[in-house]
Amino acid sequence: MRLIGLALLALAAGLFFMFGSDPLGALLFRLDSGLLSLVQAGVQRYLLPMLWDDGLLPVLEAPAWIVPLLLGAALTLFAWMRARG
Amino acid sequence: MLDLRARRAFIEDNERLPAMHILKSRPWNLPESSVTPEALVFGRRKALVLGAGMLAAGPAMAQQAGLPPAMRNTRYAPGRAITAEREVTTYNNFYEFGSHKTISAAAQRMPQRPWIVKVEGMVESPREYDIDDLLRRMPLEERVYRLRCVEAWAMVVPWTGFPLSALLAEVKPLSSARYVVFQTATLPSVMPGLRQSWYPWPYTEGCTIAEAGNELSFMVVGAYGKLLPPQNGGPLRFHQPWKYGFKAGKSLVTIRLTDQRPSTFWEKLQPQEYGFWANVNPAVHHPRWSQAQERMLGTGETVPTLLFNGYGDFVADLYANLQGERLWA
Repeated sequence: MRLIGLALLALAAGLFFMFGSDPLGALLFRLDSGLLSLVQAGVQRYLLPMLWDDGLLPVLEAPAWIVPLLLGAALTLFAWMRARG
Repeated sequence: MLDLRARRAFIEDNERLPAMHILKSRPWNLPESSVTPEALVFGRRKALVLGAGMLAAGPAMAQQAGLPPAMRNTRYAPGRAITAEREVTTYNNFYEFGSHKTISAAAQRMPQRPWIVKVEGMVESPREYDIDDLLRRMPLEERVYRLRCVEAWAMVVPWTGFPLSALLAEVKPLSSARYVVFQTATLPSVMPGLRQSWYPWPYTEGCTIAEAGNELSFMVVGAYGKLLPPQNGGPLRFHQPWKYGFKAGKSLVTIRLTDQRPSTFWEKLQPQEYGFWANVNPAVHHPRWSQAQERMLGTGETVPTLLFNGYGDFVADLYANLQGERLWA
């Protein structure tokens, strides 16, 4: 778990240096231009329209490094707390 | 006074028709048994009122507050029952407001006035029109067109509008102009979809100058005798009924003539699924579903899809020498 956390932190650092404040959505769009519209259609048509607007879109609008940073920090902290008993 | 003149001209035009009529079956003609009962579409009482009104008025007239009167052009009879207004105005694709169909409430926040439309680019006389000025200047008529969505549903709508060719005649395209590009308004304060800044906004669509000049190419300003509601692309949208619906730019603010083929919105997102031409063809399937049939909005009836959405008599010639192009998706 600690290793995964550290890997995510390293990914966050890499994304920060490579893409600066580019949103996660922009990065995913560059990787696959049709991916997000398919996911959006699935979420808004078959689950709940607001889930996209208020749940996923804020994440996609955030800088790409934010998500791995938060996940990596949480996993690393959790692993450290478990190690301390 | 104008109404009477228009009506007289309509009657005179019809009186000039030869006395002997040759009935030619259009490819979309259906047996009478396939037509949806009118009462199901409008509701029994509404149908009775409408029928009485049509008997009294003669040719159908689109006259309601805000929309100048417009005669129905019967040359484009759809061969199918008109879809109920409620279905058409509450089941919408308008990506700036979301990817789901229930965007009509959110779209009401889009202001419809004032609204300026620019016609620019390779034209002799570039113009900026206030939408109400445009409504007064253009020869309005009502046309009942079929609309086939690429998602395999369809509807039949009485649009009010004017031929695109009438607008182009005002601005006089240069001989070098080869394409017409349509751009939708970008209003971030009311369009949540624009938060997705990575997409190539504004929504851009286009067609060739030959397609634009086809008699079916229609600029729409109304539906069901009323001003076009925002969720349907008000106050001004485009419609070419032989193409899939996503080709119809909504809430237009810019029309540009150019010698470069535009790269359109969905072409940039999913080029393998949505091309520039996007003519309706039941034999060419979408990568993820069949295009052989379509579900009629409102009734849920499934009917076969027709080549060029049944308008081949009007448009097939446009593509006679374009066999190398990806015409169908």
